[in-house]
Amino acid sequence: MSQEQKLLVVKDLATTFHTPSGPLAAVGGVSFDLNQNETLGIVGESGAGKTVLLRTIMGLQPRTNVDVSGSVLLDGFEVVGASEKAKRSIWGLEVAMVFQDPMTSLNPVMRIGKQIDEILRVRLGMDRRAAKARALELLELVGIPSPAVRYNVFPGELSGGMRQRVVIATALAGSPKLLMADEPTTGLDVTIQAQILNLLEELKEQMKMSVVLVTHDLGVVATRTSQIIVMYAGRIVEMGSTREVFAHHRMPYTRALLEGSPKVSNPSHTRLLAIPGRPPNLLNLPKGCSFAPRCSFATDRCRQERPELENANAPGHTFACWNPLPVTQSVSA
Amino acid sequence: MLIVIVFIITVGAFYLIHLLPGDPAVVILGTGASPVNRAKLYAQFGLNKPILEQYFVWIRNVVHGNLGTSFITQTSVWSTVRAALPIDVEIIVLSQILAFAVAIPTAMRSARKPDGWLDRILSAGSFTLLSIPSFVIIVLLVLFVAIKLGVPHTGVSSYVSLSSDWITNLESLTLPAFTLAVGSYVVYYRVLRSDLIATLQEEFITMARSKGISQRRIMWRHAFRPSSVALLGTAGVNIGGLLASGFIVQYLLSIPGLGYTLITSIGQSDYLVVQGIVLVVSVGVILINFAFDFIINIVDPRISRE
Repeated sequence: MSQEQKLLVVKDLATTFHTPSGPLAAVGGVSFDLNQNETLGIVGESGAGKTVLLRTIMGLQPRTNVDVSGSVLLDGFEVVGASEKAKRSIWGLEVAMVFQDPMTSLNPVMRIGKQIDEILRVRLGMDRRAAKARALELLELVGIPSPAVRYNVFPGELSGGMRQRVVIATALAGSPKLLMADEPTTGLDVTIQAQILNLLEELKEQMKMSVVLVTHDLGVVATRTSQIIVMYAGRIVEMGSTREVFAHHRMPYTRALLEGSPKVSNPSHTRLLAIPGRPPNLLNLPKGCSFAPRCSFATDRCRQERPELENANAPGHTFACWNPLPVTQSVSA
Repeated sequence: MLIVIVFIITVGAFYLIHLLPGDPAVVILGTGASPVNRAKLYAQFGLNKPILEQYFVWIRNVVHGNLGTSFITQTSVWSTVRAALPIDVEIIVLSQILAFAVAIPTAMRSARKPDGWLDRILSAGSFTLLSIPSFVIIVLLVLFVAIKLGVPHTGVSSYVSLSSDWITNLESLTLPAFTLAVGSYVVYYRVLRSDLIATLQEEFITMARSKGISQRRIMWRHAFRPSSVALLGTAGVNIGGLLASGFIVQYLLSIPGLGYTLITSIGQSDYLVVQGIVLVVSVGVILINFAFDFIINIVDPRISRE
């Protein structure tokens, strides 16, 4: 397989929840692809549909009251429309997920060793001893001290950072080709956040995985990803190589996100620019550009007509905006 | 804690006798006895001593397994209790095995698709059963199972113990066990179903799903244990309740368990037997609940940690 082989091809993916208040378009027509051994960052505010997008790509959305359309080709397997049973064959082995909150994503009444073992025993058919040996290796790999002791503890006996390492070890147990990391550091202390992100990066190289890293923190994706997708209200508003998006972003929302994240180069006590207003209600999206109500560049056209993604100067860099920022505009990362 | 509660119970059971109307001297000697004879009897049983002293004499005997001798039958209360208690235990054990064996799989089924057709049927069925009192269920069972189907059913006159003839024994305990199982089933099914539905919304279930393991395994290995805390707590209370309230079933079906003995003893003003049964049942209820608390701590390690 060549380095350029597409591991993941997503086309027009849309996820709509049927809620008592009407259809909720959590993801509205998303297309992108991901090469092997590449790391893709997905950024956006809370409620932009990042988590739903990730779960839909994996086919892990709730089983009732949800409609998915479009296509997700994951290493040749069409996820959209596949039965739960068919999807089970790729879950854990082809694609695995590191969940957002390690306080809730581990089974509180199951010893952590058993939670890691499970995939090895049930999916890979290892016997008890081999599975335990491998689980101990994995615990060691994710940097958990004295794995033999930790193997037998319940999640409640571990700190948040340790639990997230266990979640990562569990995700790695099936040696997946694609690792989905859904804001893996949100619930953790700042010092632990960097440790977990560095660990993910090391493991990606070591295990030759592709990684999709979801975050609301642009600082996280700046150095760790090769591609970035900026999401707003369930749609991609800008995407491209990380370098391009940071240096030559065209969408005002991307700039707003950049200005809203702290930078070491700024003098201390620099005020962060908050984006005025709130993300739109997904039950009742505005007619035109969803960002228009909060955008200082918005015109009547923005409010009436939704912009589609168009090419920027660099290959692969696209954005959706009627009044893009001038090409020269640049904010350093 | 356990000791304090048991102490309070003994005080209650002891004082109960003094609250009851009637006079042991009258029961034993009849209404025409002379005051001298009555005083003699009082002295013989220690009833002329201060009440606190009476309590200490009594409690020392109780600790040594001596619950006194019935004024009526002249047999030891302990032997009466010991003959009846195994019947209660057997009925309760049988009924709980039945109730759990049906409640757990049906609750699992219901929770997999809440508001699906199967869940609707099971829930409606459980409500129907819930609304039928146990004495109606017994009458219906006697009519359809014992009389129409001809399943043999024996009452107090021909009851045999488990060890002497287990087939006949099980036959005679099937109806009472089944009746108690119906009431328990409804409670267990509803408690487990709602907890399972809540558990299945948890993130760790999505994570288990993302491992590509079967639905069956998710239900049994991941969802069942964290959903069973309320079930166990309810079972503890319910089983205690069955021990205390089993008399309805026993009385209607003439099963000579503790409940049946209690009712007949009350009718005969056999106070010491009443007292002995009340004491044994109360301590039993407490022990059962403590046992279930202990099991809950093992099942859910979060509880003992907090």
